[in-house]
Amino acid sequence: MVDHYNKLVKLAARAFYDDLTSKGENQVKSGRSDNRGIAVVILDALTRRQWVREEDLAKDLKLHTKQLRRTLRFFEEEKIITREYRRETAKGAKLYSAATAATVDAQLTGKEGEEKVKLHTHSYCCLDYAQIYDVVRYRIHRMKKLLKDELDNKNTIEEYICTKCGKRYNALDALRLVSFEDDDFHCESCNGKLEVESDKFVVQEGADGDDNARRRRHEKLKDMLQKMEIQLKPLMDQLSRVKDLPVPEFGSLIAWEARASAMGRAANGDMAGDSKMSQLGYNGAPMPYSGDTKVVVDFNGTEGNRHDVKSETESSSLKVLPPWMIKSGMVLTKEQRGEVKEEIKMDGTSTSTSAQYSDDKKSTVDHDDKKNIQAFPCSFHLKDEYIKAYYAALLKQQHEMEASKKQDSSDTFTENDPSSRASVRQVGIKSKHEEDDDDDGTDWEQAPVAGTGNENYKVNDLNVQADVAPADVDEDEDVDWEEG
Amino acid sequence: MFFHIVLERNMQLHPRYFGRNLRDNLVSKLMKDVEGTCSGRHGFVVAVTGIENIGKGLIRDGTGFVTFPVKYQCVVFRPFKGEILEAVVTMVNKMGFFAEAGPVQIFVSNHLIPDDMEFQSGDMPNYTTSDGSVKIQKDSEVRLKIIGTRVDATEIFCIGTIKDDFLGVINDPATV
Ligand SMILES: [Zn+2]
Repeated sequence: MVDHYNKLVKLAARAFYDDLTSKGENQVKSGRSDNRGIAVVILDALTRRQWVREEDLAKDLKLHTKQLRRTLRFFEEEKIITREYRRETAKGAKLYSAATAATVDAQLTGKEGEEKVKLHTHSYCCLDYAQIYDVVRYRIHRMKKLLKDELDNKNTIEEYICTKCGKRYNALDALRLVSFEDDDFHCESCNGKLEVESDKFVVQEGADGDDNARRRRHEKLKDMLQKMEIQLKPLMDQLSRVKDLPVPEFGSLIAWEARASAMGRAANGDMAGDSKMSQLGYNGAPMPYSGDTKVVVDFNGTEGNRHDVKSETESSSLKVLPPWMIKSGMVLTKEQRGEVKEEIKMDGTSTSTSAQYSDDKKSTVDHDDKKNIQAFPCSFHLKDEYIKAYYAALLKQQHEMEASKKQDSSDTFTENDPSSRASVRQVGIKSKHEEDDDDDGTDWEQAPVAGTGNENYKVNDLNVQADVAPADVDEDEDVDWEEG
Repeated sequence: MFFHIVLERNMQLHPRYFGRNLRDNLVSKLMKDVEGTCSGRHGFVVAVTGIENIGKGLIRDGTGFVTFPVKYQCVVFRPFKGEILEAVVTMVNKMGFFAEAGPVQIFVSNHLIPDDMEFQSGDMPNYTTSDGSVKIQKDSEVRLKIIGTRVDATEIFCIGTIKDDFLGVINDPATV
């Protein structure tokens, strides 16, 4: 369906816009600056895209943006494309990139992570197939009509000739020629009867030529009409082919973006863990279905992993929400804010002896993070910038908690108790899990909370401990993490 | 097409109009002089709508007449080739018909009348379709397209066509 319309665009481009030049006003035309045919290249490129940012298109075509815009403006006037402009932040551009990622032909220009607050005006363009169909038909209709009208001597001025003295008049003299004696026009000089001259006086250029010129003009018109029929035949065939086909519609830029990213989500599978941030439109307005795939994906991966590798996910999924993710208005438990210490039992790794953790606080933290990283590669990849931001926030959180640990742990632990350190990490793990999946998490989280004492849960969770990754794995991961 | 423009004219006024009402006299004389006239350059002056400025009068030697340069606003009507006008038919003959759109006279020759309309002579000469459903006669209102203009210094004459889409009779007095 789209292919047929694309063929129509390509044919029309070659038929009507092949010799279009888009040179600047004071640019001298030389062999080098002769850019005829560029219009065809641009239209062809547009048939392989849907909505496209004009800067990206210019880059793809290795054209100067100015030159591209000049041609696009022309096509906009010709009603062949629609354009949209909007002021947006880097984040808005990111939304667009996410949308293009879902379409077949577009390349990802990935600029995620650059949180520029500065607003830029970006312009986007898209072929308007419905209008193209009408524009092409109208153009052909006008071309034919112009030639036919002239051939049929429409718009021509009647000539009159005096039967007596042979003086010539034309219709513009009509007012002076009217006689009230009869219906005829009469000669001004001899009052003879005027007759219509059979050979008509053509208004168009070459009008006041002699009979031969008129006849040649007539022949030329016929010839042009015939040539036009032949040369435009493929185009007209294509027009009749698409006549009954539904027109491909991409809708407005925003609608298209929403749809494209929705399609992308469908292609990427379940998006249950859609992050709150991604729900925001380019300007912060709520935008349904415009999930930001990049952000979404990582939680998803974590979640998916949990079911398979239980112990690992348990440790990795229980995370404190990083401070930048906690917004006013969010309903968060204390655990999610990293304030509650009671969840130790949930952590499989924490069930190991306190000696394991007493060596260094950092190692536990690293261990956690590493698990998270492991979760990602399963079918998704995360932008580097995002990872960095994420871990930076995470580390900061951990440090903060360490600082505030004294007050928090006072009720249950002594300051020197190594297990209190473990608890810090566990809190993080727990919250992370909740953020992923509230419903799922509740069951197996709440029960342990009910437990009163530290010792209690340790006994209960011994089997979990069995699943814990061996210590050497942890060490390896530590090394990796440091490098990262 | 109508335009609202500013024109200038030197008005000669007889001394007997001088006095308190000089300005009023000048304006009413201006209206009498220019409204309804036609210049090839600006078209027909339909109405004077206001006075921009009246300059200092200059007394002519010998006569006592005073010339005032007057700048005035007016509505003008200038027909153009390709313009669509609605006009009232004033005369029908076998060569075609004449019509008026305000001050403009337009002639539509019979080859620019649709081919299915035939000339019928008689008391009320007219062009009629074979089924008699459409008739063009005196006082018919037609929509026509101007295909040629003759512009003289003081006269504009047009020829038109009704042989195109959406042109022709828009109100037939015979059926009203
Ligand atoms: Zn004569």
